[in-house]
Amino acid sequence: MFRQVYLARYFDVRLIKEKRRGRLRGTLYSSHNQEAILVGSLFGLKPTDWISPIHRDMPAFFLKDIKFKWHDATRMGMTIEQVCAQVWGKVGSPGRARDNWSHIGSREKRIIHSTSMLAGTIPVAAGVTYASRLDGGDAVCLTYNGEGSTAQGIFHEAINYAAVHKLPVITIIENNQWAYGTPTDLEYSQHDFARRADGFGIPGLIADGQDVFDVYDKVMQAVEHARAGNGPSIVECKTFRAYGHGDHDDDRAAKYRPPEEIEKGRARDPISVCRQTLLDLGYLTAEEADRYHAEGKHAPDAQNEDFPPEVVAYLNEGIEFAENSPLPEAEEAAMWVFKEASK
Amino acid sequence: MSAVAANLAPAAQTPGAVKKNYITALKDALFEEMERNPDMICQGEDIGILGGAFGVTEGLQAKYGTGRVVDMPISEACIIGSAVGLALAGKTVMAEMQFMDFISCGFDQIVNMMATYHYRTAGEVNLPIVVRGPAGAYGGGALYHSQMNEAWFCNAPGLRVICPSTPSDAKGLLKAALRDGNPTIFFEIKELYRRPSIEEVIPDEDYIIPLGKASIRQIGSDVTLVTYGQNVYHCLAAAAELEGLGISAEVIDIRTLVPLDEETIFRSLAKTNRLVVVNEAPMTCGFAGEIIARVTEKAFDLLDAPPIRITRLDTPVPWVKPLELHVLPSVAKIVAAAQKVVKY
Repeated sequence: MFRQVYLARYFDVRLIKEKRRGRLRGTLYSSHNQEAILVGSLFGLKPTDWISPIHRDMPAFFLKDIKFKWHDATRMGMTIEQVCAQVWGKVGSPGRARDNWSHIGSREKRIIHSTSMLAGTIPVAAGVTYASRLDGGDAVCLTYNGEGSTAQGIFHEAINYAAVHKLPVITIIENNQWAYGTPTDLEYSQHDFARRADGFGIPGLIADGQDVFDVYDKVMQAVEHARAGNGPSIVECKTFRAYGHGDHDDDRAAKYRPPEEIEKGRARDPISVCRQTLLDLGYLTAEEADRYHAEGKHAPDAQNEDFPPEVVAYLNEGIEFAENSPLPEAEEAAMWVFKEASK
Repeated sequence: MSAVAANLAPAAQTPGAVKKNYITALKDALFEEMERNPDMICQGEDIGILGGAFGVTEGLQAKYGTGRVVDMPISEACIIGSAVGLALAGKTVMAEMQFMDFISCGFDQIVNMMATYHYRTAGEVNLPIVVRGPAGAYGGGALYHSQMNEAWFCNAPGLRVICPSTPSDAKGLLKAALRDGNPTIFFEIKELYRRPSIEEVIPDEDYIIPLGKASIRQIGSDVTLVTYGQNVYHCLAAAAELEGLGISAEVIDIRTLVPLDEETIFRSLAKTNRLVVVNEAPMTCGFAGEIIARVTEKAFDLLDAPPIRITRLDTPVPWVKPLELHVLPSVAKIVAAAQKVVKY
């Protein structure tokens, strides 16, 4: 998990650099400072489980894969090549670059294709798990949501339906304190979003979103609860959005958010929290830990040397593939509106 | 009646066969497809225990169980969104809207989630989902139980849009839609559900009507009346009246809006050179306008007179009869329009 947190961080850092070099189109929605949520929640899943990431969860698409040999996981997510081809807008993308950024998915890899309609995939998650149960499977689905999307009607409608049918849908709320430019106290009248769960008669758990192990524990509690047939849960992960809503918003976000709040929100970096736990437990020696930067450095300052070499090499493979993948032909734009009748 | 439509259901002429109404035809289609396809699921409000507000799904849950026939909470967005998930996991789904007026509550899931899925996944995922339900006015249903909102969905690429007017079409098109593999919005006409005068013999065998094929309900030579849904019967009544006035009207029921059978319309116009299009929805950006646009773009030379559209006024559908009938297409309005284009 330690190296996966580094990988998620490096993906973010490297993409910001590539964007500044002018190699990428579209907006970057940084997951900086929120990586522990992705890594911790995905770690205990089975290949048959579904996930539904959103824009800020780009690393989830390949973290579900775990190409590393760090543990003997079945290959179950997208490859880093596919994810990079999507970011670069090339035909190597699973969606052949038809929709932008995080709007990809894979039926085969059980990743629900994301859209811009936040919370809109929660009913879809309910549907895939309903189908799985009908077919005798035990698949759960993790859906990722910002706290902002909890104000949408579909958030409530879908969780209510999942609760009625005891569907194994785990709603993860990445409470990063800001919905674009609006703070949580203008989104919700209570302190903890997990309390929404009371209204549905389901468990609501709160995890320290900076601590990969705490996220893992809380999500696995919800997963076990769901697999046992007891239905959905909400897991609120408390975190803080390091930068703007997207990279277009970075400069403004530095103004609409008080500096002391930003400093406080980024004080507990997921890499250093994870590192300290491993040191305390004796799984990591001080020497090993000191090889790489322990703090989340601001992207322009971070160097490849700040990250484990296997992490850099992994992403390099993806980027090389993406750069060599062609742009789609213009004619493709009119294709696949309908499924044509099978001959 | 001058000439009978040539393409009625083949068994319709079989003597002694039992006639069925529109709602029974729909029910037959659902039972047959549920039997044929073990991966098919039906879901909607009150469709299981109750058997649906209008009874279209009566007996379905008793036969196929609560797993495959699901009573949903009152959330159209969730009925459609979870249907997308079911289809993503390989199921075929019939999602009932209790009234098509309520489909707006599921609009985002339809146009942004469901309609675009095949496109944005470059063909990886197709969604065999039929969203069906009762629509249409003339029954005093007032603003929220009378709408024909088909045009909204014709403007969302990726959706089939279907509206049958006869029992056999209801069965044949519903079965075709459930097998088409594309998300479909299927408008049923609740005023026709139990109308005895349109009962007909429907083939018992696997009866499928291909999408995108219009039906000529009456053959004529002076003016072409293009329509669908309940207005088919207004056009047929208008044609009978016009016959007494010495005008021979051809009545085309397009049956499917997307895909649209333009050829049948153009062939008819090559004969009549005059066009009246009738739809129950409001005029502005309604489907009648789309048909006229396509004719004027692609077959302008066939027209000897400016086409006319007869639609609902650009108002909601009011409740009490004099108000309701005032805003809707009527036989008299169609007759007047036909006379006008013929005299032009």
